[in-house]
Amino acid sequence: MLRYLIKRLLGLAPTLIIVAVLVFLCVHLLPGDPARLAAGPDAPPETVELVRKDLGLDRSIPEQFLRFISGAVRGDFGKSIRTRRLVSAEIAERFWPTFWLTFWSMAWSVTVGLAIGTVAAVWRNRWPDRIGMVFAISGISFPAFALGMVLMEIFAVQLGWLPALGAESWKHYILPSLTLGAAVAAIMARFTRSSFVEILQEDYVRTARAKGLSEPVVVIKHALRNALIPVVTMMGLQFGFLLGGSIVVEKVFNWPGMGRLLVDAVEMRDYPVIQASVLLFSLEFIVINLIVDLLYGFINPTIRYK
Amino acid sequence: MVKSELMPKKLRFTAARIAISFALVSPAVAKDVVMAVDSTFTTMDPYDANDTLSQAVAKSFYEGLFGFDKDMNVINVLSEGYDVSADGLVYTVKLRMGVKFHDGTDFKADAVKASLDRATNPENKLRRYALFSNIDQTGVVDDYTVRFTLKKPFSAFINVLAHPAAVMISPVAIAKYGKDLRDHPVGTGPFKFIEWRQTDYLKVEKFGGYWKPGYPKVDGIVWKPVVDNNTRTAILQTGEAHFAFRMPPEQIALLKTKPGLEVITGPSLSQRYLSMNVRQKPFDNPKVRAAVNYAINKEALAKVAFAGYAVPSDGVIPAKMEFFQKMGPWPYDVAKAKQLLAEAGYPNGFETELWSAYNHSTAQKAIQFLQQQLNQVGIKVKLTALEAGQRVEKVESAPNPDTAPVRMYYTGWSSSTGEADWAIRPLLAGDSAPPKLFNTAYYRNENVDRAIAGALNTRDPAEKARYYKEVQEQVWKDAPWAFLVTENLLYVRNRKLSGVSVMPDGNFHFEEMELKE
Amino acid sequence: MNPPPAICTSPAAPTDSIRTPWAEFWRKFRRQPVALVAGAFVGLLVLMAIFAPALVPFHAEDYFDYDALNNPPSWQHWFGVDPLGRDIFSRILVGARISLAAGFISVAVGAIVGTLLGLIAGYYEGWAGQLIMRFSDVLFAFPGILLAIGIVAILGNGMVNVVVAVAIFSIPTFARLVRGNVLSLKHLTYIEAQHSIGAPDWTIILRHILPGTMATVVVYFTMRIGTSIITAASLSFLGMGAQPPTPEWGAMLNEARADMVTSPHVAIFPSLAIFLTVLAFNVLGDGLRDSLDPKIDQK
Repeated sequence: MLRYLIKRLLGLAPTLIIVAVLVFLCVHLLPGDPARLAAGPDAPPETVELVRKDLGLDRSIPEQFLRFISGAVRGDFGKSIRTRRLVSAEIAERFWPTFWLTFWSMAWSVTVGLAIGTVAAVWRNRWPDRIGMVFAISGISFPAFALGMVLMEIFAVQLGWLPALGAESWKHYILPSLTLGAAVAAIMARFTRSSFVEILQEDYVRTARAKGLSEPVVVIKHALRNALIPVVTMMGLQFGFLLGGSIVVEKVFNWPGMGRLLVDAVEMRDYPVIQASVLLFSLEFIVINLIVDLLYGFINPTIRYK
Repeated sequence: MVKSELMPKKLRFTAARIAISFALVSPAVAKDVVMAVDSTFTTMDPYDANDTLSQAVAKSFYEGLFGFDKDMNVINVLSEGYDVSADGLVYTVKLRMGVKFHDGTDFKADAVKASLDRATNPENKLRRYALFSNIDQTGVVDDYTVRFTLKKPFSAFINVLAHPAAVMISPVAIAKYGKDLRDHPVGTGPFKFIEWRQTDYLKVEKFGGYWKPGYPKVDGIVWKPVVDNNTRTAILQTGEAHFAFRMPPEQIALLKTKPGLEVITGPSLSQRYLSMNVRQKPFDNPKVRAAVNYAINKEALAKVAFAGYAVPSDGVIPAKMEFFQKMGPWPYDVAKAKQLLAEAGYPNGFETELWSAYNHSTAQKAIQFLQQQLNQVGIKVKLTALEAGQRVEKVESAPNPDTAPVRMYYTGWSSSTGEADWAIRPLLAGDSAPPKLFNTAYYRNENVDRAIAGALNTRDPAEKARYYKEVQEQVWKDAPWAFLVTENLLYVRNRKLSGVSVMPDGNFHFEEMELKE
Repeated sequence: MNPPPAICTSPAAPTDSIRTPWAEFWRKFRRQPVALVAGAFVGLLVLMAIFAPALVPFHAEDYFDYDALNNPPSWQHWFGVDPLGRDIFSRILVGARISLAAGFISVAVGAIVGTLLGLIAGYYEGWAGQLIMRFSDVLFAFPGILLAIGIVAILGNGMVNVVVAVAIFSIPTFARLVRGNVLSLKHLTYIEAQHSIGAPDWTIILRHILPGTMATVVVYFTMRIGTSIITAASLSFLGMGAQPPTPEWGAMLNEARADMVTSPHVAIFPSLAIFLTVLAFNVLGDGLRDSLDPKIDQK
């Protein structure tokens, strides 16, 4: 298991390098001169040149690339073009709000999704199933940004129950994580249901029932564990969805996180910030999938790590 | 077996992190004033700031030798007056006595020298370098007298010293922090800098040793960047902020109905216009440009895009600007526009592109409105709202004036120095075409260029006024732009808060700030 | 998927039990009233989109009434008036064209390219397959919308580029799906039989493997249209997609943000349009899956 882990961690390196190269190239393909943008809307040309030099943007592309790669290896991503602060400091400030937002969204959506999916499968084609699936299919059909706008208007502005701004207390997390998690809850519910429906038709479940075990025991002890395997894979995939979704949701809720940092950085052509945050996004995504793979074995001991 | 131990540990760790993250929540201090503004601050070094907002915030802890009052008149701040030599090259400034920096250092001539030497040294690569590059040297005459020697005469030099960038920094702090000064501002202002968390807030607290007795009247200020318009509106209503600046005009009607809030509006220096590339057909024809001006109903534009919080331009520069010359507004006359288009050889109109320098909601509305209006006279425009990067690429960096792709361009300007030169020269002088400056109409007129240069080199206000009158009359006649509107300043404050106002250029006045319980 | 003709013509088999795959599909599909309704709705939507220019009561872009700004729904303006004095109902109708076209074209491109790559990757497991799978891994290493934002940032704003971006990130999903199918089909006897009679690779792939993967692709295709409409709308919402005054639904919502507090109808109708359309595609997709998947037989 440990060897498997190490092997997988080593396997990360090539993917990350490819991502790094692609990101560097893409960033330099973006139209617009970052020095001009950083110098400000009414800067005279001398200032622009000054800024360009200061940012190292007057060097050749290969030279900039070498500087980027050698820095990245040491964890040094340079300074933000917009704020001139260290990119690492910039990201550190933004990382946790996004992390917790994704975490809480995932937590509630998986719990609720599993519950709805299980209930729907057990009472298949009866009213709990119908209601659950109406919710589920509505959840994947409503765009997150629209949902966020509606929730904020109702609960923050009209009713005043929840704060509209900031990421300071648990109250601040409610609306954004509801918004972000809604689609995932819906997907998890649908997926759990179909996975469960298949499992409940399997021979060993029938055997368990035939043995006279009570329905809750059959469902929880025998079916749930096996139904979880595909569900866990889905969870890993959904994490990427959440990371992406956070970009939109952060825009709606003015969330001080990575998603907004990235969108602002793209807008301002803040090369170092774009490069570092995209790398971090993909690293997170890869690590999550790795964890999912490990969880697999946790749920299903028949899988052996080679 | 390793597995079963691994997970709970991980979970425990996670739980601990969660507990920590929620325990860190700091309760808001009641006596602080919370000011919500529309974008994040870039730096706390005014010499390196290119945005009005960062400079406005820096006024909490920094002051300059001169400043502007609410009506944009130059006033003494850390100075007690100045003299100019006959050749306009040497400015001698008397300093205010008894002023201390937050770190305890006395404010004396050496602080002025240290601050400006830092600004004029190209090695420091400060973004406001160009503003000060005309200073040849800063000399200490005695503890409370400094002498500025200029490279060439510049009549608006005191305006430069009154610019929000030209602040006095503690010489001790300059030596101590060097490049990190941006995060450690030490000035003479009414508030001491406490903490800056980029995305969340910037906190300052009352400076006990402030030179003006009885000030400041509040314990501290929390500056909060709140980028989203709707959120800014929401937190005013929930009481999470006492003040908010820039307000979306669409929501003012709603905010006006709230008894605890006060909506304040006034003239600004921020004008909107539609430049037309005069080097390209059909805009090379003055009749076409005049037709465009006649085709646009500016009153309706102010109503549709700015919810009524804008006034039709009645001149080339905003009415609040010094040396403003009233010329209009240009009448709305569709028949006349069609007639001019026919005379110019376009009886059925033409097709062209219209780009917007911004992509925020007000600009989106404005350009769609313009499209509807131009469509009435047969001019079909394709709209693109450029995001900042595209704007730089397609408009501001276009290398060759002859092939510049820009045609009609919806943009705006707000003179950051508050004086007429910087409101006219970057936009209309023949040499100011991109990529150098922002003459996106590629307009060039010898009379205009001569008058602009003349105004810059004279110190006689009457002569200056004459030059600027000539410039404005010529430009209005040639109409390289469709002159649209001047925006109104729009901000909202809680009725408990008083003594805060926004100046026409978007800078803040908050010396008299007071918070009633 | 072609059943051997011998069975069809066999006199021994009772005629009512002969089921072509199409008939089998229809038998199952028509038992799902909700999916039928959704299908009908999608059909109606497509018709409306095609004939939108003839149906709209007002011109979607050029009509305006500055005295009726933000007026709520009325008999004249069914969905009300927007902040620029335009008729929201007309704009939604015309917007249906854009959203449907964006959803359909992007997924179609993604599906075609993805299926091709998946076929190759599954059939030739060697370096070509490896290369394709690495490529899709890298694409997978980005959250979809991030990739789309990057692509649009490079290519520039606009609906066409949004379609390209959405298509690109649909590719790896289709490629994986098809590859998985191919891997399981490839070792079936009838394929091996083709090999043994010396049929060329492309004949095997196109005539025998491709039809076997079609059911999955069609189901996924339908579901994906919903996702793509949302993604395209999200990009427009972020200001990267359709440019004004194009009545794309996401762009309409983005524009409505400033006015939704005072005039909610400007946001409600575009949201409903997106929601109902995506819902219809998802329900239809569910119905198709239940009808095409031989494992599920609802009796």
